[in-house]
Amino acid sequence: MHRHLRLASAALDLAAHPTTIHHDLWGIPLRTKPIGLDCDVLVGTWPPRADLSMTPDAVAARLARSGIAGALVASGRGAWFDDVEGNDETLSVATDPWLPAGTVNLRNALRAESELDRLVAAGVRAVRLFAPTQGADPHFPGYRHVVAQAAARDLTLLVEGDVRHAWLAYAGRGAKVVFLDVHAYHVADFVLAARDEPGFVASTRLLNAPDSIETVVGELGAAHLAFGSRTPLHDTSPSVLRMRRARLSDVDWDAVTGGTLRTLLGVA
Amino acid sequence: MHPVIDVHGHWGPWFFAMDIGSADENLRVMDEWGISLQVVSAAEAVVYDAPGGNARLAAVLADRPRLRGYVVANPNDLAATRADLDRYLGTEAFVGVKIHTGYPLREISSPQMRDLFALLDEYAAVVLIHTWGRDVLDLLPLLSANPRVRAIAGHMAATRWDLAAEAASACDRLYLEPSCSITDAGQVAYVAEHAPAGQLLFGTDATLIDPAVSVGLVTDADLTPEIAERLYWRNAVDLFGLTLPADPVLGPRL
Repeated sequence: MHRHLRLASAALDLAAHPTTIHHDLWGIPLRTKPIGLDCDVLVGTWPPRADLSMTPDAVAARLARSGIAGALVASGRGAWFDDVEGNDETLSVATDPWLPAGTVNLRNALRAESELDRLVAAGVRAVRLFAPTQGADPHFPGYRHVVAQAAARDLTLLVEGDVRHAWLAYAGRGAKVVFLDVHAYHVADFVLAARDEPGFVASTRLLNAPDSIETVVGELGAAHLAFGSRTPLHDTSPSVLRMRRARLSDVDWDAVTGGTLRTLLGVA
Repeated sequence: MHPVIDVHGHWGPWFFAMDIGSADENLRVMDEWGISLQVVSAAEAVVYDAPGGNARLAAVLADRPRLRGYVVANPNDLAATRADLDRYLGTEAFVGVKIHTGYPLREISSPQMRDLFALLDEYAAVVLIHTWGRDVLDLLPLLSANPRVRAIAGHMAATRWDLAAEAASACDRLYLEPSCSITDAGQVAYVAEHAPAGQLLFGTDATLIDPAVSVGLVTDADLTPEIAERLYWRNAVDLFGLTLPADPVLGPRL
């Protein structure tokens, strides 16, 4: 049996993973409300971390213990090996409360249009681009072609890589983009790039200075920020604990932990 | 409730879009995450002017007993380093030496670092040194040649925490702390399993990075209470020679 078939047939029993807060931090007060939606979650296999369990069940358990209720999920197969089969895996596991993030192979974008059409027909609203993994720079013809085709289909793009290099490929076309790797060191560049782009959103994952999340919300508003953890490749608690102690209003906190992304995706 | 000692802190502004330069911000994040004591270096000393930054940090530490200092040593200027070691290292406020490799552009394997470690051996210094990737292994010959130096591998090699654990296993004077933006899953659990428990420390890189990141890394490691206690404070007490019962800050928290 192929590995992807095992993945697709893995039983994902979310009822077995009730969302709870699993932090015993010597009495530090934390927001206990569930985080509604995580924009950065993977399942499958990841060759440099073949030691990790990335089955849907293991990932669901990790999210639940950190109080994350829902996630935008993509399969590692599409990142490393085969986008079509990877998207099949994603569609098979990303059922409520998970949402599917499809992908397109940036190293062979000749079939991007047909795969994007297939994803749209399946109800997919987000496409994740694994550009660093696939060695594709934002100025490559294949990359630019995929961006144009995805934007034309009103898909939300989940973009890995340095925002300072990637942003230009998305500017001026009304694109809806979640930049997954915006670092605290790059906050100024992201704010400047997003001022004229209502669809530019940063993931919170690497906004790890004591005031990065608050700065982005203060400069741009909570509509430009979405919670992300990169579970299970990265530990979940660093981004969760930072989010739970973010100095935001309840309205802004709710937006960053789910509302922003739901609005972008057009889902309830 | 238990003490938390952060062995990797900074005081002062950085050149990024962050408003984190005041010592009040150190104390704010310490209070937020229950950190009792933080050992800091001056950001200015790390990235630009070591003697100037060390002097400004000395003034900051004077009336903030929850902060202790690292004397920043630039491997390109041993004369200034010796002068600062003589000036600060014997005082109560300064407890160790901080070395970066990126800003002075000297690798751990460089001749300048060899000579700096020989100087630090004269002072039996505790050294926090920036490590990233394979260069953590280059600490082993330096420590072998300088038996009075004890070193903390800052960021525990970041992308190569597996090599950091190997290095710590090979030398009982090499300690590891986990502060880093790179939050690879399972890294603290791996290091706790493969490195001696007496060589694990807690560091945050605050106020450059929020302590939530390191607290989260340790949380996800699910350490036993005994190892967590060693990591969060007990090993640091032993390494820096802090006297807990008489300490006005740590004592009440016990």
